[in-house]
Amino acid sequence: MSRLVCPFCGPRELREFEFHKTLPNGGDTPFERVYLRVDSLTLSVEHWQHLHGCRGWLHVERNPSTGEVLLTRLARIGAAS
Amino acid sequence: MSTPRKGTRVSADTLRFTFDGRPVTGQVGDTAASALLAAGVRAMGRSVKYRRLRGVMTAGPEEPNALLTVGAAPAIVPNVPATQLKLTNDMVLETQNRWPGLRFDLTALLQLGSSYFGAGFYYKTFILPKWRFWEGLIRRLAGLGKAPGRCDLPAPSWEHAHCDVLVAGAGPAGLAAALSAARNGARVVLAEREPLVGGELEFEAATIEGRNAGEWTCAALGELSRLGARVLTDTTLVGGSTGEMVLHTEPAGMAGAARMIKIRPISLVVATGAVERLIAFVDNDRPGVFLLGAAERYLARYGVRVGQRVVLFANHDRVYLSAARLAAGGMTIAAIIDTRASAAQSPEARRVAAELAARGTVCLVAHAVLAAKGRSCVKAAVIAPIANSTLTQDIACDAILVSGGWGPAIHASLQEGGSKRYEDTLGAFVSTDSPHWRVTAGSAQGAMELGATLRQGVEAGVAAAAQAGHRGPMAAVPAASGDPTPHLQPFWRSPADEQQEKTQFVDPQNDVSVADLRVTLAEGFIDIEHVKRYTALGFGTDQAKFGGQLGAAIVAELLGEPVPSVGTSRLRPPFHPVTLRSLAGHRVGAQLRPARVTPLHDWHVANNAEMEAMGLWLRPRYYRANGGNPTDAGIVEAGRVRTKGGIVDGSTLGKIEVAGPDAAAFLDAMYLSKASTIKVGRSKYMVNLREDGMVLDDGIVLRLAEDRFLATVSTGHTDHMVSHFEHYRETEWANARLTLTDVTDAWAVIVVAGPESRAVLASLLGSQWQETLARLRHMDFACGHHAGRELTVLRASFSGELAFELHCRPAIARELWDGLVGAGLAPYGLEALDILRLEKGYLVSSELNGQTTPFDLGMDGLVALGNPCVGRDLLEREAFHAPHRGRLVGVRACDGKSRFLGGAQLTEDAVTAVSVGFITSSAYSPAVGEWIGLALVSREVALGKMLYVRDPLRGDNTTVNVVSPVHYDPKSDRMKS
Repeated sequence: MSRLVCPFCGPRELREFEFHKTLPNGGDTPFERVYLRVDSLTLSVEHWQHLHGCRGWLHVERNPSTGEVLLTRLARIGAAS
Repeated sequence: MSTPRKGTRVSADTLRFTFDGRPVTGQVGDTAASALLAAGVRAMGRSVKYRRLRGVMTAGPEEPNALLTVGAAPAIVPNVPATQLKLTNDMVLETQNRWPGLRFDLTALLQLGSSYFGAGFYYKTFILPKWRFWEGLIRRLAGLGKAPGRCDLPAPSWEHAHCDVLVAGAGPAGLAAALSAARNGARVVLAEREPLVGGELEFEAATIEGRNAGEWTCAALGELSRLGARVLTDTTLVGGSTGEMVLHTEPAGMAGAARMIKIRPISLVVATGAVERLIAFVDNDRPGVFLLGAAERYLARYGVRVGQRVVLFANHDRVYLSAARLAAGGMTIAAIIDTRASAAQSPEARRVAAELAARGTVCLVAHAVLAAKGRSCVKAAVIAPIANSTLTQDIACDAILVSGGWGPAIHASLQEGGSKRYEDTLGAFVSTDSPHWRVTAGSAQGAMELGATLRQGVEAGVAAAAQAGHRGPMAAVPAASGDPTPHLQPFWRSPADEQQEKTQFVDPQNDVSVADLRVTLAEGFIDIEHVKRYTALGFGTDQAKFGGQLGAAIVAELLGEPVPSVGTSRLRPPFHPVTLRSLAGHRVGAQLRPARVTPLHDWHVANNAEMEAMGLWLRPRYYRANGGNPTDAGIVEAGRVRTKGGIVDGSTLGKIEVAGPDAAAFLDAMYLSKASTIKVGRSKYMVNLREDGMVLDDGIVLRLAEDRFLATVSTGHTDHMVSHFEHYRETEWANARLTLTDVTDAWAVIVVAGPESRAVLASLLGSQWQETLARLRHMDFACGHHAGRELTVLRASFSGELAFELHCRPAIARELWDGLVGAGLAPYGLEALDILRLEKGYLVSSELNGQTTPFDLGMDGLVALGNPCVGRDLLEREAFHAPHRGRLVGVRACDGKSRFLGGAQLTEDAVTAVSVGFITSSAYSPAVGEWIGLALVSREVALGKMLYVRDPLRGDNTTVNVVSPVHYDPKSDRMKS
């Protein structure tokens, strides 16, 4: 995974982005949301910021086994309203 | 002077250099190795452990022995393989690992006791009294070469490049791959380690498409150029990860004017060829033992005969073809020792063998070279039938040319997925299970015959281009004829009794012999990775290219296991040594990272401030006029603020403007207390929590208008806080009407603090500000103008004194600053700032350390307001309220004078090891007249209790009393005056 495709800027080198966190998927209580993650061999859902670019926040889904990026979109699309 | 040598790489022009102080003459185009060999120099160094005299064995980067130091001290470059080093006039070369000289080396006396120096010797022997006692002595003897005293290498350049297909290696397979990929429309980059392309075609008497190999190579290059391919010579694929490959260009053959190219190909063709292997026999490390391919290279490229009368020792058919070429070059082939049971297999090899035999060459099969005779130079080869190794005979010679087969260079094929498979017919591993973006072709994939090499190259090129979206027909494979299939039969070492195994070397650079492998296995290190680490097999500059496979195969033999079940140690990048300087590129010294400076930076520097880095910012720590060290100057500067007043450059303070109809609600969610209750023109001290409830940051929030706020954040936290806010805006607040703007650089900040601050400001800012300054209460602010530019005056204090923050446009910062200085207010730096805030018990990152809760910091009152903010949900966790959790307190020495420092542990008595807390910050307070500190101490420790300061490393052991965290002016009368 050497590049991410920023919806604004196109394919950009990974070093322009900063990993923020793996999204919670371990339950809905506050504690579970902060501390529990169910690790998957094939799917990791993450938030990244195009920090050294447009500063956009990205929702990234990737396969941690292969490094393949499965989906990149803006985090705000689909975010809670 | 004799007639100049003729070779493909050397011209007749001479050049002069020195070798261990001795003048030597070479020819333009020579490597150090070729010139020295031509000058009759055999010994080019001593070995690292036994100090055995060693000569060059190879003609490539896998050279284990001939490592030279180039240049005169201190500007030296050590460990340069003589085989790679391109000579220039007046170059100064020195051999390594010898003292006082190469011929007479004192530590070579170690050789006399060499039977005691096997694997693990140091660790077993130098145990008593302890390893550290011996370490200095051993370190002086150990290691390759000497580290240069300083780094004088020029800054290398880094280039970033893209292509469809990267082809590593420009031998026949690489050329065929590059051509077929480029013909199908792919953008191709072809990288070749050598100064010219062609690989083995340089030596093989081959024809391709009816032309001789040289013509075909030239035509291929011409076509590649027309198709827009980029061909890079002297360029090695040294490593890569996640789709980025790193190419390293070192035209001089040594660290120096290196160029690094980070390239992102869509697909990669590995056509890196194969590395010839040694066979283990007794004293196979003597100067005069060469790899067969190296002898051919020296002859063809440089016109150098590595010996006049040579013995060839091999396990395949190619040796006969090589022998014919060497004989044609004027060398006498004394004998060809073939380990295979039957004679040459291919008709061509048989014909050549017969011709050589007719000219007096001894051709023996099922024989082996048992040993080399001669200490500083080979004088004879001892040979015997493999089946009966007592029937020895000596064949006089001055060089033994060995070829134990070829190990495919699969380094690049084993990174990021892919595994290796043992190929019996090669006695070597080839790559398999490659990821979709990588193809390996040619002798790197075990193709040992030109037709197969070209076919693999064409197929690889077409596949790689298709991977990059350039699909095309499978091109015709060029018809070719070259050297026949080698019909190799793996043969790893000649018969020897156990005593002799000490000098059957498998990895000369690390002095690893068959005996070392035997000892290692006997001691239980049977995994090849353990063998590597116990013996150093495959360490060093050649990184297992020379001896790795040979050593692993002999390990298999000693264990009685098949070679593939032993495997080889993992091949790691870089493929060849790359200096750290090259990797760092321009990012050294002042170029390491950018510096951020405030609008007042030039004034600070001109006025002799000691600047300190905070993140990327540079800020004045203290002004040297006030003292020779930070402590003394800080006390002077802080004292002056309390008696008279002072100014400090606060421009680095992070400032985030939050605007929009939903700004107040958003900030309510971001902070522990509400922003929506702040009135326009007022400000509030506020605290952020992380989602796990820990305190993240603090700062003052100003309400500029109903829908506009300015949030100030810690200098070192600004970037993080901007991202933190942005993340919430883009996720949970995605639909809010809200903008966030980092305005840190848009406003300079000058803090004016002290009893005289209001009066000085009033006279400086003039009549229009008089009424405002008189009106402003603590935490009020007013916006206006000064000198035609915007100015905000906030009455807030981080020092406990009456103080005003001037948020001004950078254009007027210097004018304001000069005016304040002119009015008699002296600037203070971070040291004084820290003393002043500590006196008042205000918090900085020492206390907001990411491990403290609002309760720990005495903010229970803020929590009790009940604002539902980020992090609130987890504040009621049991552990946050455990009785032993730390709580912020002040500490003072019981004797009223002793020093104590941040980081020191606090205990309840002088002997217990159980800490009840630690000091977070401390300073000498001029206002209080003694050392004061803040500490996080267990809630169970009551105010007034005496604690022991335990600081064994710094020696500041004393006792302190637990007091209120506010050391000075507890009612804050001064601030509100």
